[in-house]
Amino acid sequence: MAASNQSNGPGAQALDMDAVTRLPLEQRDDIIVCEHVHKWFGDFCAVRDVSMRVKRGEVVVIFGPSGSGKSTFIRMINRLEEHQTGAIVVDGIEMTNDVRNLDAIRREVGMVFQQFNLFPHMTVLNNITLAPQRVRHVPRQEAEAAARQLLERVGIPEQADKYPAELSGGQQQRVAIARALAMQPQIMLFDEPTSALDPEMIKEVLDAMRELAATGMTMLCVTHEMGFAREVADRMAFFDEGMLVEIGSPGQMFSNPKEERTRMFLDQIL
Amino acid sequence: MSAAAPAQAMPPPPPPPAMTVGLVGWLRANLFSSRVNSALTVVLGAVLLWALVSLVGWLLFAADWAVVTTRTPLYLVGLYPAAEYWRPQAALLLVCLLLGVTWGRWGRAARGFALGLGVVLLVVGLLPHGMQPLNRALLLLNTAALGLGYLLTARLTLGRLPVFRRVAAALHARAARLYLRRPNRLPPAAWLTVQASRLLNAGAVGLGYLLTAWLALERRPWVRRAAAMQNALAARLALGRPKRLAALAIVSVIAALLLIRGIEGVPGLTPVNTQDIGGLLLNLLLALFGIVMSMPLGIALALGRRSNLPVVKMVCVGFIELVRGVPLITLLFMSRHILPLTFPANIHVDALYLSAITITLFSSAYMAENVRGGMAAVSEGQVEAARALGLRGWQTTLLVTLPQGLRNIIPAIVGQSISLFKDTSLVFIIGMLDLVEMGRVTIQGNQEFLDNGREVYVFIALVFWVFTFSMSFVSRRIERALGVGRR
Repeated sequence: MAASNQSNGPGAQALDMDAVTRLPLEQRDDIIVCEHVHKWFGDFCAVRDVSMRVKRGEVVVIFGPSGSGKSTFIRMINRLEEHQTGAIVVDGIEMTNDVRNLDAIRREVGMVFQQFNLFPHMTVLNNITLAPQRVRHVPRQEAEAAARQLLERVGIPEQADKYPAELSGGQQQRVAIARALAMQPQIMLFDEPTSALDPEMIKEVLDAMRELAATGMTMLCVTHEMGFAREVADRMAFFDEGMLVEIGSPGQMFSNPKEERTRMFLDQIL
Repeated sequence: MSAAAPAQAMPPPPPPPAMTVGLVGWLRANLFSSRVNSALTVVLGAVLLWALVSLVGWLLFAADWAVVTTRTPLYLVGLYPAAEYWRPQAALLLVCLLLGVTWGRWGRAARGFALGLGVVLLVVGLLPHGMQPLNRALLLLNTAALGLGYLLTARLTLGRLPVFRRVAAALHARAARLYLRRPNRLPPAAWLTVQASRLLNAGAVGLGYLLTAWLALERRPWVRRAAAMQNALAARLALGRPKRLAALAIVSVIAALLLIRGIEGVPGLTPVNTQDIGGLLLNLLLALFGIVMSMPLGIALALGRRSNLPVVKMVCVGFIELVRGVPLITLLFMSRHILPLTFPANIHVDALYLSAITITLFSSAYMAENVRGGMAAVSEGQVEAARALGLRGWQTTLLVTLPQGLRNIIPAIVGQSISLFKDTSLVFIIGMLDLVEMGRVTIQGNQEFLDNGREVYVFIALVFWVFTFSMSFVSRRIERALGVGRR
């Protein structure tokens, strides 16, 4: 029901985005709203009372020590993990067990994983066109044309007919970004997208993310690339022991964090 | 070399260590490395040689193959009525045509098998044994059917036509490699080998060039015309398209089965008593049915076992564990003698169908466990990626996890198929005359063959080996084509 209110046509969506990105951040609507979200694995509380609002077109970098619940948190945004108490609303759709809501949300939210998770038995092109064809029912030729455009955008148009294993890590991650974008999501989630990459390949992936941020995409990135955060992020969120300890602009976070734990962590990694 | 290079420049990587090539070097390193090893090598070599000499001596001189050659149809099709032999022959023709089409479509993956089968059929067709001229001609026609099927789908390119050119080039390259090896450094025996093979190669290269020049096929106009026509025909038929190929496969297999069994009321296709279908034909029919049907059934059982629905899961687990816990021979016996007790008295189920169904159910339980293992090896990240893209649960299974899982278990599927094929010989327990049972009956039922058990079982073993080896050969090709372990 809620899904039918969403604009699914690519044209309508693009117009919408243009109008929105002309507004300053403060005047835009919240595309993600989390209120008092909790998540337990057995007795272990992985995410504890997190409340966060993300504006349309905003880039939020999430960082914190390992095991701090940051990955679990962004995986709850597209319900790869279920939250147990609290509420998550994505683009006006409340996250519940209703399958229709879930399908609508997954169509709006793209995700890029640390381990790429490309489908090894399909060519790059088929990896990208699979979901548009099967979920959005885009005709094959149209989906392939769109896929080639996306590959052009992430800088590897010549790799379309190769298999993932024939590509370098950086190329694979760029394919993964293209694959997520092919569903024309409103929101992109990045779960440590550069952590499994060799140092010389990190830049090419960050460049693709930078370009994406410049188009006004709403992005939630779990990453420890602080250079990227300083340059691209609108806000940074620090997680520790499952809690959202502090959230603020990069300038404030780097120069003058409010919390002692944030300062200590930043001192360790910078 | 590195000393001469400037200090800043990266020195070139060192060359690989010299290979200790040559037969003599290998022998010394592996078979004669110490006194004990040398003694062992000599003793074992003598034993092997003695065994080989006795075996070959028996095969060539002592063995009396009349028991096989005078009864060939019995081993191949059992008690199938002799007047109807053309029907299994025609079925085989259909299969060969289908295989040829597959070869044209898949190229390398099916080529070895198709060529191998063509050669085997040709040899069998030409061997001296009691066979009517018509049947012999039909058998020889299979090779033509293979070629025809190939021509219906393959895209021939003229540049590849002259095989001899490629053979000559390969030989030439080999000769060049040997020449570069500097024979004067080799030990005398190896030096002799090299010189001898050089001579041979020189001869072969010259012969290859002569043949190429003589044939020069692609320059002849009629060859060009024929190739163009073939290409046009293949493009028009487009049998290589997956859907058409699958449809062709299904149609020809069903047609083959109908031919063998016969259809009521169609003149010339009088139904054959299923008890009379025997010999190799029976083994092949049961194995084919079992392999083809146990795949979908096994996949369904595996998916059921992974299901979240408790009843579905319980039923699947129960079936799998029950069937795997009982030997096939027991299941066959029960299907024949105990199951009918539960039927109404007037229903009679044929032994052939009963055994086919039993074998399928038996195999599907094992197949289910293979599939489950293959799917368990697919990483959780694949499922997450599919779900994050918005694919439904069943789409994720059908498009992402199942294809990867099945690719993981190609070797296991083939292993399962091989053992299923061999297990079909157990149907003797319910009185069916498969190849092995036919051999036993032939020996014991004929006074003159009582001493020829060896010949019969050697022949049967060879037949089984040819088929099982072909299966594993094709499997290796498919694995390579799909890149198992590479991607």
